Amino acid sequence: MSGPDTSLWFAARTSRSFVLGATLTGFFAAVALVSLFWTPYDVTVLDIAGKLQGFSPAHPLGTDHLGRDMVAMVMVGAQTSIAVAFVAVGIGVGFGVPLGLMAAANRRTLFDEIIMRANDLIFAFPALLIAIMITAIFGPGAINAIIAIGIFNIPVFARLARGGALSLWTRDFVMAARVAGKNKAKISFEHILPNITNLLIVQGTIQFSLGILAEAALSYLGLGAQPPLPSWGRMLADAQTMISFAPHMALVPGLAIVFTVLGLNLMGDGLRDIFDPRLRRSRQ
Amino acid sequence: MLTFVAGRFVSLCLSLIVASIVIFIVIEVVPGDPAALMLGLNAQPDTIAALRDQLGLDAPPFIRYFSWIFGLLSGDFGISYTYRVPVSDLIGDRLWVSVPLAIYALLLSTIVAFAAGLLAAIRRNSGADLSIMGVTQLGVAVPNFWFAMLLVLVFAIWLRWFSAGGFPGWDAGFWPAIKALTLPAIALALPQASILARVMRSSLIDTLDEDYIRTARAKGLTRAQVLWRHALRNALIPVLTILGLQFSFLLAGAIVIENVFFLPGLGRLVFQGITQRDLIVVKSVVMILVFAVILVTFLVDLAYGAADPRLRKNR
Amino acid sequence: MKLLSVRDLVLDIGSTPILGGIDLDVDAGQVLGIVGESGSGKSMTALAIMGLAPTGARLGGKILLKGADLAGHTEAEMCAVRGGEIGMIFQEPMTALNPVMTIGDQVAETVLVHQKRSRAEAREIAGQTLERVELPQSRFPLNRYPHELSGGQRQRVVIAMAIALRPALLIADEPTTALDVTTQAQILDLLARLVDEDGMGMILITHDLAVVAEHADRIAIMRAGEIVERGPATKLLLNLKHPYSKALFEASNHVPARAGPPKNASDEPILVARDVVRDYVVPRTSPFARPGRFRAVNKVSLQLNRGENLGLVGESGCGKSTLARAILALEPLQGGQIFLQDRPVDAPEARRQMQVVFQDPYGSFNPRHTIARSVAEPFHLLGAAAPAGSERADRVALALKEVGLDPKDGQKFIHEFSGGQRQRVAIARALIISPALIILDEAVSALDVSIRAQILDLLAELSDRLHLSYLFISHDLNVVRAVTDRVLIMKSGEIVEEGETAQVFNDPQNAYTRELLASAPSLDEAIARRLKHA
Repeated sequence: MSGPDTSLWFAARTSRSFVLGATLTGFFAAVALVSLFWTPYDVTVLDIAGKLQGFSPAHPLGTDHLGRDMVAMVMVGAQTSIAVAFVAVGIGVGFGVPLGLMAAANRRTLFDEIIMRANDLIFAFPALLIAIMITAIFGPGAINAIIAIGIFNIPVFARLARGGALSLWTRDFVMAARVAGKNKAKISFEHILPNITNLLIVQGTIQFSLGILAEAALSYLGLGAQPPLPSWGRMLADAQTMISFAPHMALVPGLAIVFTVLGLNLMGDGLRDIFDPRLRRSRQ
Repeated sequence: MLTFVAGRFVSLCLSLIVASIVIFIVIEVVPGDPAALMLGLNAQPDTIAALRDQLGLDAPPFIRYFSWIFGLLSGDFGISYTYRVPVSDLIGDRLWVSVPLAIYALLLSTIVAFAAGLLAAIRRNSGADLSIMGVTQLGVAVPNFWFAMLLVLVFAIWLRWFSAGGFPGWDAGFWPAIKALTLPAIALALPQASILARVMRSSLIDTLDEDYIRTARAKGLTRAQVLWRHALRNALIPVLTILGLQFSFLLAGAIVIENVFFLPGLGRLVFQGITQRDLIVVKSVVMILVFAVILVTFLVDLAYGAADPRLRKNR
Repeated sequence: MKLLSVRDLVLDIGSTPILGGIDLDVDAGQVLGIVGESGSGKSMTALAIMGLAPTGARLGGKILLKGADLAGHTEAEMCAVRGGEIGMIFQEPMTALNPVMTIGDQVAETVLVHQKRSRAEAREIAGQTLERVELPQSRFPLNRYPHELSGGQRQRVVIAMAIALRPALLIADEPTTALDVTTQAQILDLLARLVDEDGMGMILITHDLAVVAEHADRIAIMRAGEIVERGPATKLLLNLKHPYSKALFEASNHVPARAGPPKNASDEPILVARDVVRDYVVPRTSPFARPGRFRAVNKVSLQLNRGENLGLVGESGCGKSTLARAILALEPLQGGQIFLQDRPVDAPEARRQMQVVFQDPYGSFNPRHTIARSVAEPFHLLGAAAPAGSERADRVALALKEVGLDPKDGQKFIHEFSGGQRQRVAIARALIISPALIILDEAVSALDVSIRAQILDLLAELSDRLHLSYLFISHDLNVVRAVTDRVLIMKSGEIVEEGETAQVFNDPQNAYTRELLASAPSLDEAIARRLKHA
């Protein structure tokens, strides 16, 4: 495994987007991990006397309206955001990719047609509408956010997988595999899937970032994570009424969202360049 | 062309029917007894029975579905449980806020995105291109409701150019109403414009690599002529697709933004509907929003057919 | 004064030299043929003359058009020259036209950008020009879109755009490479007629020596950015001096040495097809219409014997590739039967006896698998009987050795090989389970002539030694003539003629066969004609 790997790695290290994006993403992922074991303050302990402090050595990012440390809040909030977005992407990949692969393998059949129509239908329901319907029935919660965003991710990955697979099915190496007597499932697994992984990874980072944005919006509306579970969206909702006298409460979680999403998008752009051999050659 | 339009129209109607069935099932069948859900845990059995009667819940589901659909078609959306007024009146009032907001934001984002994408593609790798790409990269990453809060902080609280929220109504005059919608529209437009500008740029750059661009250059067209006469129209085709998909995000965004600015639109209505468990309102507003998305998809398909002669035939 | 004189044309992209001192001359009313294999710099020469070299290219030398040096022109001056003084035609007619603009507007545009004329006048000129390229207004009105035309018709539109203003010079870069032979002949005749009528100079760029032998007045042979030999066509063809020109000539006319099938071959049929029918469902044109049907293969019968090379010739869309897929049991039949050694082709035993080599050496391999893994893939057909472990590795090594590759190459990935080597790997993959029949579907069509000659030699040698039967599918009549024993001519899903290759080529019975043979450019015939005139 010498040839392609080293050049991919070389391309990765020399892609400015990728390095910057991976650093940002890695930072927030690390923050979320660390917060599982350690936070500077306990976010479940309220300190009303110390509320709404500005930046200080004891509280580098200040405190919120209930006196909780903003550093700790942002750290724990990262958990929620990343967990929700991660599971939602997982749902999208887990259901969407197999469906897309099956649709492509059975092109122009009723199955394919149904899958594609169902995809179109889900696209007519933005994640927020799905969340609204779920919440109206079952009440708000982080699980709703995951389901709503996850459902919306399914057609994204199904379409991508189908599109990528369709162009591969016309390639001669797939024909050669058919001549070698391999069935559709085996070809999809051995020949199609490995060749669309790049596409899926790039889309995965994009959907991950969209998931973080969507989770923030749902939590902000009160349709997602519920107190006491801290989440960046909820922190912003709390901050809104106090924005004129405590703007730091809005700035800190907002910037956390921006940097995480920016990191993921830059990483996605970088990966796209790295995986596209046409672009790679021109850079070297 | 006529068969193309007819074909798209049939698929529009089918999508609407299926979408309405999905909404009906999720809201009326999944929860078991919607009346009990709407009234909460402490409701008296006779109140629930009264509501069931009012909602016609004792009829079999498919009868309820058809009476809902025929109601929708004749403009009868039912009576809101919490407001005790016809839902159609509620929606009618709110549309006067939500639709202008959506159009305002769409215009803003499209104009800005086309200009920025075009400039970036023509001046590829220049300072202008790099800064446009940098700004759009940020614009995609900024949550629109947070951006809205920043706009309020800067333009309403510090500079006092705009009010922090609320809507005076169109009775107060055109300009005051537009002014009240300006900050919300900007907040809505930013992420849309960023995505569109990026798509516009990459689509134009791809198109400029096509064989027919080289053919046109060999005819003696200058770079600018090639861009305006050949590249732009072809590049718009993928941009249209994204524009159509973006619309559903725009609607979703509008729900959030209306809540930031306390605008009396559909978004706030559905949001209040949820907190008050008013399923009648939620069901109808969701249906209207889905209808809007499907209608826009249909219009985009038609625009597609107009832009690309290959689609008018076989499809 | 020469119409066009190129002197010491040098072109670098970055630090890579692309052209190293090109000298060319074109006279009015004359055709200069430039021949070369891929990467020889022939297209770049054309783009440099047009001032359309890619950004980042550095140009040196003189390009004199009627005495004026184009190399010193500004971009604005070049825009006036392009389309006005020099017209250009490209290889890919399918993508060379703007898909959202009518053909009339695209031709009229040439007029509008160069002359102060009204739209109506420009459209009238466009109509006249389209008539000149044999697209009559009655059948091809100006408001047609490119997607409504065939490849040959689109190429005529491109030609119309190039000649609308009767330029002094026309550059045709591989104008017929993407077209069928009969269409190619018509387009080349059209170009020759336009050169005559307008007294235009023309540069005809091609990889096919036979095409320039038939149409050029002067010939230049290019290799690696330089002209190795040039001169008046007849003189040059009859007395090639440079070793590369000689090698190219040899390869173009190459006939591999072959023992041929054993004497009693017809007693041992390998493949038998009877009345094969394959229909496709055509997508509905509207949601209310019933789906249509298209018969791609119509009652085709054929027999292929042990050790025999059977040619299947036809133009694009004639159904030859569909027939190949049907034989490989990759498509269901709507009628008839196909047997391989007396077993239906979809039986596992039959599938073990046939393999295939495709046209595109780049697309034939999964880029993420090693060569060894790809070559071993047909073992899947053997099921539990497939060799494992070191025996499997040995068989792969042997197959690679058979096709002239190093067994160590097995650990490499496909992108590390050249086009010719990739086709060798594809043959190794076909050989690995020792099949009785290999279907060669345009297997040498994408290769440069010199590489093609080597692959044909390899195939001939393998066929003799291993008693392999080939079904050799191709649109290239010269190649089919050189390597097959018998030949089938296919048109619109039917076999219109079959027989011994030599007999069919020397004495064709069917009208379509005669048309095909007359259209195919032939080096020998072109030279014979030139000898007679000289």
